[in-house]
Amino acid sequence: MLRITLASLRGHLRRLLSTSLAVLIGVAFLAGTLVLTDTIERTFNALFADVNAGTDAYVRRVADFRSDFGARPRVETALIATVAAVDGVRTAEGTLQGYTQIVGADGEALGNPGQGAPTFGGNWQRDPALNPFRLVEGRAPRAANEVVIDKRSADLGKLDVGDRTRVLALGPPYDVTVVGIARFGAADSPLGASYALFTDEVAQRLTGEPGRYDAVVAVADESVSEKELQRRISAVTPAGVEVLTGADITAEDQNEVAGFLTFFSAFLLTFAGIALFVSCFIIYNTFSILVAQRTREMALLRALGATQRQVLWSLIAESAVVGLVASVLGLLAGIGVSSLLKGLLAALGIDIPAGGTVVTRSTVVVSLVTGLVVTMVSAYLPARRGARVAPIAALRDLSVEGAAGSRRRVVLGTVLTAIGASLLIAGLAAVSDRPVVLVGIGAAAIFLGVAVLGPVIARPVSRVLGAPLPRIQGVAGTLARENAMRNPRRTAATASALMIGVALVGFITIFASSIKASITDSIDKAFRGDFVADSALFGFGGLSPDFAARLNNIPEVAVATGLRLGFVQVDGADSALLAIDPKTYPQVVDLEVAKGSLAELGTDGVAVSESKAKDEGLAIGDPLRLTFAESGPADFVVRAIYAAGDVTAPADHVVSIAAYALRVPAQFDLQVFINIADGVRVDIARAAIERVLADFPNAELQDQTEFKEAQGAQINQILNLIYALLGLAVIIALLGIANTLSLSVFERTRELGLLRAVGMTRRQVRRTVRGESVIIALLGTALGLAIGLFFGWALVQALREDGLTTFRVPVGQLALVTVIAALAGVVAAVRPARRAARLDVLAAIATE
Amino acid sequence: MPTAAEESVAVRVVGATKVYGSGDTTVTALEDVTVDFGAGRFTAIMGPSGSGKSTLLHCLAGLDALTSGQVFLGGTDISTLDDTRLTELRRDKIGFVFQAFNLVPTLTALENITLPSLLAGRPTDRAWLDEVVTTVGLGDRLSHRPSELSGGQQQRVAVARALASRPEVIVADEPTGNLDSRAGAEILGFIRAAVDDLGQTVIMVTHDPIAASYSQRVVFLADGRIVDELAKPTTKSVLARLSKLGS
Repeated sequence: MLRITLASLRGHLRRLLSTSLAVLIGVAFLAGTLVLTDTIERTFNALFADVNAGTDAYVRRVADFRSDFGARPRVETALIATVAAVDGVRTAEGTLQGYTQIVGADGEALGNPGQGAPTFGGNWQRDPALNPFRLVEGRAPRAANEVVIDKRSADLGKLDVGDRTRVLALGPPYDVTVVGIARFGAADSPLGASYALFTDEVAQRLTGEPGRYDAVVAVADESVSEKELQRRISAVTPAGVEVLTGADITAEDQNEVAGFLTFFSAFLLTFAGIALFVSCFIIYNTFSILVAQRTREMALLRALGATQRQVLWSLIAESAVVGLVASVLGLLAGIGVSSLLKGLLAALGIDIPAGGTVVTRSTVVVSLVTGLVVTMVSAYLPARRGARVAPIAALRDLSVEGAAGSRRRVVLGTVLTAIGASLLIAGLAAVSDRPVVLVGIGAAAIFLGVAVLGPVIARPVSRVLGAPLPRIQGVAGTLARENAMRNPRRTAATASALMIGVALVGFITIFASSIKASITDSIDKAFRGDFVADSALFGFGGLSPDFAARLNNIPEVAVATGLRLGFVQVDGADSALLAIDPKTYPQVVDLEVAKGSLAELGTDGVAVSESKAKDEGLAIGDPLRLTFAESGPADFVVRAIYAAGDVTAPADHVVSIAAYALRVPAQFDLQVFINIADGVRVDIARAAIERVLADFPNAELQDQTEFKEAQGAQINQILNLIYALLGLAVIIALLGIANTLSLSVFERTRELGLLRAVGMTRRQVRRTVRGESVIIALLGTALGLAIGLFFGWALVQALREDGLTTFRVPVGQLALVTVIAALAGVVAAVRPARRAARLDVLAAIATE
Repeated sequence: MPTAAEESVAVRVVGATKVYGSGDTTVTALEDVTVDFGAGRFTAIMGPSGSGKSTLLHCLAGLDALTSGQVFLGGTDISTLDDTRLTELRRDKIGFVFQAFNLVPTLTALENITLPSLLAGRPTDRAWLDEVVTTVGLGDRLSHRPSELSGGQQQRVAVARALASRPEVIVADEPTGNLDSRAGAEILGFIRAAVDDLGQTVIMVTHDPIAASYSQRVVFLADGRIVDELAKPTTKSVLARLSKLGS
């Protein structure tokens, strides 16, 4: 039987090759993601081990909770002396970092911390053992206005040693002279983040609190181990201070990268999974067609005495060889894909230091096993069908695979779809601990359910979709439509592959549109001002409060009021917190206060959103404890309940800036909302504001329309990334269409020969194949958009409470998706159509 | 005494030679064949397997190209035409009836009959179509797909298609090869009727003496050459010539 399998593989090599391509692409994506994340992880583990090599103890305050940006209470400068006095400590220094942004030679702020890597400022560690940076040029900062910057920033900002520039931080823009340029270990900068390094006193002033550090770092002398040093320092430090060994802090840094990578690789793996899922449909379909075309061959084997089991295993073995070959090639291609993905990251501003590509044993095993299993599982059903061919079929003519819908199919498809829909909705409503998994399984079940139903609907839908073809293209159009309808199973399976990609594209488009529409609506409703200066820095850094203060001093501005964003824990759950000026903010933005008053917030009042108040049963006057990472728990009283979230940063809690400043040292405005003075022309006011903003190049001035557009543009950027990743699944589906058409053309050789004989031109033949392709593509698109619409609707419903108030179907964009799908159908048909047109008429009709 | 119809020639083959393969493995299927097919006449081509009769048919119908020699159809030398012209020629001037697989399975009987004019984007001549359909007796079967028709009915549709476009010549390759004798007789009857009543030119390849007896003239091929011919054939006279050829 093995010999037969191998012979059959040789015989169908070309067709199997195109099948392998689907598996190959999926596996390449999978392997590429694994290789990239392994490479990044190993590089950074080495980097952190390297940069922390000199640190033997890390002394800091205990945090009440771990916030996203690692915020925690700071230590007093006096602690340095305490640590330094411990026996066995050779050196102890304070270390400090916070948000700053370097202004480049062109006056623009360097980096894009809102979307890419963060921008830091800190103190220059004097002891080389404690300093991860190595000067490549210049010297360390000695005076107040001297700064060392990372090499990447120096290159990007065209800054050299001796250049004067500014650094944006707390307080007014800070004039500096670049005195040194440094590299972080072997990298120009860590993960693409920028660094401005000052003397201790300046760093304290610019990034936080005078007289305080993030931590005290110490180097041991020869006589003592890290563990022993940790014990000795712990003995003399006050309560609320913890001592970590160098190994501990390295592990913590490495875990942080691992955490980022887990998220990042899960994101990419999702798309690899989608691509493989689509590949399943292609493999299933190709094997179905191959088995159907070889019915006589199977029957002959059966007639000659092969058992069903033998035929089944022969077919499965065939799929295993295809799967293995494709997986091996995919794995090799994956190494190339990993550098493509690395390029994608670099485009987003995340610089990964050069390092050897890491291909771990687990990457090899996972890629090969996944490719193999996906192929074999997808080929199983077709193989079983092949094994069940009656031996007598050998003596009969090839019967075309026909029947579309059995009752069983309808029931199974409907049940699967219904189960999928309920899982999806349950997952979105977060009734489970693992909602994402539930949503994923639900979505897959819906896809499978609709694919099972496919053959039932393929015929009528193809008839409708193909209805214009006969009118446009005459008999070629009629034939195209009939061909699409004649084998609904094949048409449906081919279309299903495309359906998945289109459904996800449609879904994400609808979702993004709904977000944009919701934001636009809330801006329309709540924003009464003329302008907003937006830093787009959600949680780390922002506009210095100096900016708003200066605006309030110019006559063209009636009021400029800042909005600050922070993170707290409430009842153990992380929550976003907004800080506003209760007097001026309501003049520009309407929070729709339903009960109580913002004016009464004071320094211990909190306003709570209506939905949160309802969920938690909170009323005016109730106590509420907010825990700040920077300063610990603080007791507040509910003083107001509001209906509208903020325009762009929906949060459930709002406090006054006065209260916020008491508890968090880093005071930055996320946005500054501006009303111009009465009687001042808008363009004149704008010019005046722009002049002030020139000193703060980390924000952009926008009027209402521009503000809405900018919010949309941010979403579009993410949208484009997702489109690019989904594009892969769509390409695989198009390969599937091309493959099916080629097989169909091969199968219809005699029919095409007849048509050519009785006078069909090559052009008409091509048109027929193209027409069929377009119908298949449109069928997949129609099903996909229907599913995408449902996904979008379900998600928007689920997020209604979270500020997603508007469900918006972008008809124009979805129409564009349809047009692109139809064009893609034309492209997919190019090769099969050419092959059909090239057919040798005589050979075709003479085939016996 | 030659009639007017015999004098007018529908298809003229001059010095037709067809060689397959190259070098040591060449096979000469046709060797310097020159023959005329009269307009409005029903000619049968007969010969043993490998005599080149199918090759001759394919070449004069524009399905295959000669190695040398010419084929004139209504004054056109079809050996000079490119693929597009040849396709148009087949569509507009030649009607085909094959032994099997004559019909497009996805089209109805009527659509199959009108296929050549549909392909050409020409309106169909309703009156003529009705006449053809009536002649082959398919009136109530027109909306059926080929799979819903018997073998005989399928061949009748094929004949109707060949007639419908009023081609200059109908080329039939063993049109009754897959049919039982009754259905076969029916088809041959239609073809003969088309010749007698409508003045249709028909050239048919067959190995069946009974089928040949429906024609008005039989041309015998052996080893790629015309070796004999017979006017007003009967089953008996055809058989007699065949056995003479065989010996």
